[in-house]
Amino acid sequence: MEQDPVYSPNKNVDKKYTALAHKYPHLHQPFFKRPDISRRRFFQLAGAGVSGSYLAGRALAASSVDTNQGMATKNTAKNVIFVLLTGAISAWDSFDLKVINGATPAAMNAATINGISWPMGTMPKLGAQLDKLALVRSMSAHALVHTLAQTWSQIGRNPAAALGNIAPNIGSVIAIEKDPLRTPGQVFPAFIALNSPSGAGGGYLPATYAPFRVTQPSGTTNAGIPDTTNKNGQTLFNTMYSRLHQLDDPLRLNSPYGQPLTDYNDFYSQAHGMMYNPTVNTAFGFTAADSVRYGSSSFGNACLVAKQVLAANQGTRFIQISYGSWDFHQDIYGTINPKGSNMFTMSPALDNGVSTLLSDLQSTGLLDETLVVMLGEFGRTPGALTGAGGRDHYVLQTAVFAGAGVKGGKVIGATSSDGKNITDFGFAGSGTTGPRNVWPEDVEATIYSAMGIDWTTIRHDDPFNRGFEYVPFASQGTYGPIHELWA
Amino acid sequence: MGKRRLAMAGGAAAMLLVAGLAITRAQDPVTADRAQERAQARVEEATQMPVSDPSCTFFGPERERFVAGSNARSQGQLTASVGAQLAYSARAVAANVMPSAPGGSRTDSLDHPSSNTIDRYIFPALSAAGVAAAPPTTDWEFVRRVYLDLTGRIPTPAQTAAFINDTSMNKRSTLVNSLVGSPAWVDKWTVWFSDLYQNNSDNAAGTRRFIQGVTAFNGYIRSSLQSNKPYNQMASEIITTQGTDSFTQGEVNYLVGGVVSGGPVQDIYDQQIANTASTFLGLSNLNCLLCHDGRGHLDQINLWGYYTSRKQAWGMSSFLSHTATAATTVSANLRSFSLQDTGKLDYALGSTTGNRPPRTGTGRVSPVYILGNAKPATGENYRAALARMMTSDFQFARAAVNYVWEYFFTVGIVSPSNQFDPYRLDPNNPPDPAMCPMGAPCTLQPSNAALLNALAQDFVNSNYDVQALMKEIVNSNAYQLSSRYNGTWDPSTASLFGRKLVRRLWSEEVHDAITTSSGQLPTYTSGTNWGPVNYAMQLPEPLNTPDGGNGAVNNFLNAFLRGNRDDQPRKPDGSISQSLGLMNDSLVMNRIAPAAAGLLKTTLAMPAAQDGVVGQGGNMGGLVDTLFLTVLSRHPTDTELSTALANLKTNRTQEAQNLLWSLYNKVDFVFNY
Repeated sequence: MEQDPVYSPNKNVDKKYTALAHKYPHLHQPFFKRPDISRRRFFQLAGAGVSGSYLAGRALAASSVDTNQGMATKNTAKNVIFVLLTGAISAWDSFDLKVINGATPAAMNAATINGISWPMGTMPKLGAQLDKLALVRSMSAHALVHTLAQTWSQIGRNPAAALGNIAPNIGSVIAIEKDPLRTPGQVFPAFIALNSPSGAGGGYLPATYAPFRVTQPSGTTNAGIPDTTNKNGQTLFNTMYSRLHQLDDPLRLNSPYGQPLTDYNDFYSQAHGMMYNPTVNTAFGFTAADSVRYGSSSFGNACLVAKQVLAANQGTRFIQISYGSWDFHQDIYGTINPKGSNMFTMSPALDNGVSTLLSDLQSTGLLDETLVVMLGEFGRTPGALTGAGGRDHYVLQTAVFAGAGVKGGKVIGATSSDGKNITDFGFAGSGTTGPRNVWPEDVEATIYSAMGIDWTTIRHDDPFNRGFEYVPFASQGTYGPIHELWA
Repeated sequence: MGKRRLAMAGGAAAMLLVAGLAITRAQDPVTADRAQERAQARVEEATQMPVSDPSCTFFGPERERFVAGSNARSQGQLTASVGAQLAYSARAVAANVMPSAPGGSRTDSLDHPSSNTIDRYIFPALSAAGVAAAPPTTDWEFVRRVYLDLTGRIPTPAQTAAFINDTSMNKRSTLVNSLVGSPAWVDKWTVWFSDLYQNNSDNAAGTRRFIQGVTAFNGYIRSSLQSNKPYNQMASEIITTQGTDSFTQGEVNYLVGGVVSGGPVQDIYDQQIANTASTFLGLSNLNCLLCHDGRGHLDQINLWGYYTSRKQAWGMSSFLSHTATAATTVSANLRSFSLQDTGKLDYALGSTTGNRPPRTGTGRVSPVYILGNAKPATGENYRAALARMMTSDFQFARAAVNYVWEYFFTVGIVSPSNQFDPYRLDPNNPPDPAMCPMGAPCTLQPSNAALLNALAQDFVNSNYDVQALMKEIVNSNAYQLSSRYNGTWDPSTASLFGRKLVRRLWSEEVHDAITTSSGQLPTYTSGTNWGPVNYAMQLPEPLNTPDGGNGAVNNFLNAFLRGNRDDQPRKPDGSISQSLGLMNDSLVMNRIAPAAAGLLKTTLAMPAAQDGVVGQGGNMGGLVDTLFLTVLSRHPTDTELSTALANLKTNRTQEAQNLLWSLYNKVDFVFNY
């Protein structure tokens, strides 16, 4: 054993720097102005015990622990539907169609609709609803590794960076931000992730704001959420539930073993509220007729459920839907294997699901208050196909927006005819950056702005006491919303 | 609202690319060796395109002017000040009026004054703060707690009875000694160490160990625990190992987790040392320092970090700079890793692309250990030097015992447990307020610094014996305090440890408690990769699941937040899904069916006339008592018994089922209290 090093600061402290530090307070302020105030400790002080809990979450949301730059938000959306096209869809064969001689099949049926190039062969129904869509064709990914970039899209920051592994999904941020608007009797989780079993989670935020994950069957009927009914039937369940309380209330209400056990009972109350609840079954179940309208696919069913969940108005604010895989390194057009997975076999579910979702949202008036965002984690190589008849990874892609006041029938930004470069950003940029391409962080800022959330907000409850900035570097103007969507 | 910012750092947005490192290297004299580095960088998909990021301009030379003179100064020998030692009066504690304990308190062991290191610090600290300790655990509370904490399984009724009926004075330590090192203990702590070492098949940074690598690493951890390998030896092996196949040489997989794509090879060294510093030194803030100096960033967080520069952090990364982590394609979409010290050149500056801000400067950085500034001996392998320095650093022992402490006590003595501040640990040399920037943490960081040091010293003296450390903790009176508390509990005093803080069972523990108590064990397997196993605690990782990514068992386990050993840590939170699962999932419902062979069927076959019989001591009585003892490891209280009996009179079979279902949904089932 060597001599134990006890590390102590150099007494010759840099006075100049200290003076500077006093003059300019930093952004890493612990929110209680006292050392050692970890998140966990905050929960203790909040009287909720050491485990994050439903009650702790409420206390957290209600307390003023944020700072921001006072940005003007759009505040046009109450809800968000976030569609992640995993595997990275080829923009050149979808939202930024390029007709490449010798590559693009005639069956793509390239058309120009109100000046917008569109593949009527694969997405005819969306093509008929271009008046609702805004296409941002100047978007670029930072990285070209699937898991990394998918997570990046969902948390709006680099997963490999300092706060990457504690960063919440955008949906969790919205869930905690909008928690004060929740009204008594609303029984749905604020953030529902459909068909996203391994998507980004709630990060360091309490579990109340983590995604509630439900995967839709590919069949055309569904009764609702798993485990919201009991195999013994409702009557017997009610008996069991009352027996439980009869037996356990001395331990679960004002528990002698501490607050966490009492908090745990709150989740039982919430879960019980979702059981045998016609609202749950109406929102999460569906009939064959509706499923067929949405394309009779798992993805279509998820779109259907998303619409129904929002229509139920039960407190859900953010719905993520994942659909993939679009990772066509080989045989992207099904030239070799037409029945395999390719643009022609994958696109119809997307076309049917999203087009019906948009028209249903519009007919119910929900589209005006729901921002729909659709993108992949990155794009695919432009021009001629690879030797394997596919397209490899590339940064340029197109992000699709609709609803919540976004002007439809619009294209923002443009790429060169060969797809290799951006020729027009169409985006004024953020802060002092000037016009530039759109990054995932800008999409994140756009979502927050639409929801009336200041994207420069910094929470001071993160476990590093570092300050968790909703959009990284946004307070410096590095990233910001795409205001052009509303212009 | 702070519009003025000194600079935000991060790394966060900076990412950027690779693009073949087409940087100016024409006049670089070591171009040939850059080629080697480039090859190393290409371990994953190297199809990145160049992009730039405006935030990079934040990391210019102006930030460097604050660096000068910030080297750490080593102080003298750490002395573990024992301080005033107030005798712990167990009898005084026992004299308190105790809240009723389910299971009854009639067989409490007599508590006794303790010579345990932990007790010598905890109880004086409680007295000094005027905080009363909770009463000691009853034997019933103790037996369930210690089985769960050490082995992850609830005791069988026979195990419970054996302990309760034992009349010897040292029966608690006897039980502890029999559990530590047992096969179930190996299962549980293999998972614990796998969490600590982040052993998974796929992480958000794009690194894939594949299930073959995961099972190999899992096997290494398991065998290390089985042989009670000293912790410093395990750390040294993990840090220094070389090998050509991560699928067959488990310990290779630790550093593989630091492989980062989309950047120069320095990004990999940085991530590998960041992981290592967090795992073995509790210094997760090194990750921050690998992007920027502490000043202007860590001022309000970490005093050591405030005085530490990015350049010093590079000195740590440089210990990895001779190490190449390279992927070998085994078959389509299946790659193993080699880990070999084939490099000759130290950590190069001048990178302008990748996952971290540009490494401003020229030349190379040689390895320098960040706590004390030691350098490798002439000719010494860099990683061997790193392992030697780390494992002989007292901080290595402190970080280890604190991680283990956090598990057993729910809150670390330093918390968060991976954010140590080395300048705020010595009770004999507390931070000088003159050295602390305004508003910075300037008090000792550990809630009980002397305890942490004494515990770490014991760990060192035991030759880093993990089993001995656990025995020391679990045999302390402090650990054996009840989670029941007399009077009003002040949550802000939690870190004085005057009360056991409850812990929601891990996913695996909930699953295994249901399956073992019901007598219906499942069998899980995954082709030739792993299995068959009968306990969730034997699964190699969360991402490789018994019944697929969206299977019922997988969803049940995920609902209890077992995490993914990457960006989703294991969490103690509750959730709606947990409650829905315990109330309605087939894992529970299939096991409360009266017809199914197992606990309920056996119990129903008992004479109805004896339903209300409660066994003597730890022995089982009739139906109600049997269900309670099997599921909750205790007898029913009088109220619980009379309630259950009244219900059973109406429809015995149905009400027995209702009772068993209720037991699985009781809070004292899902929590370790």
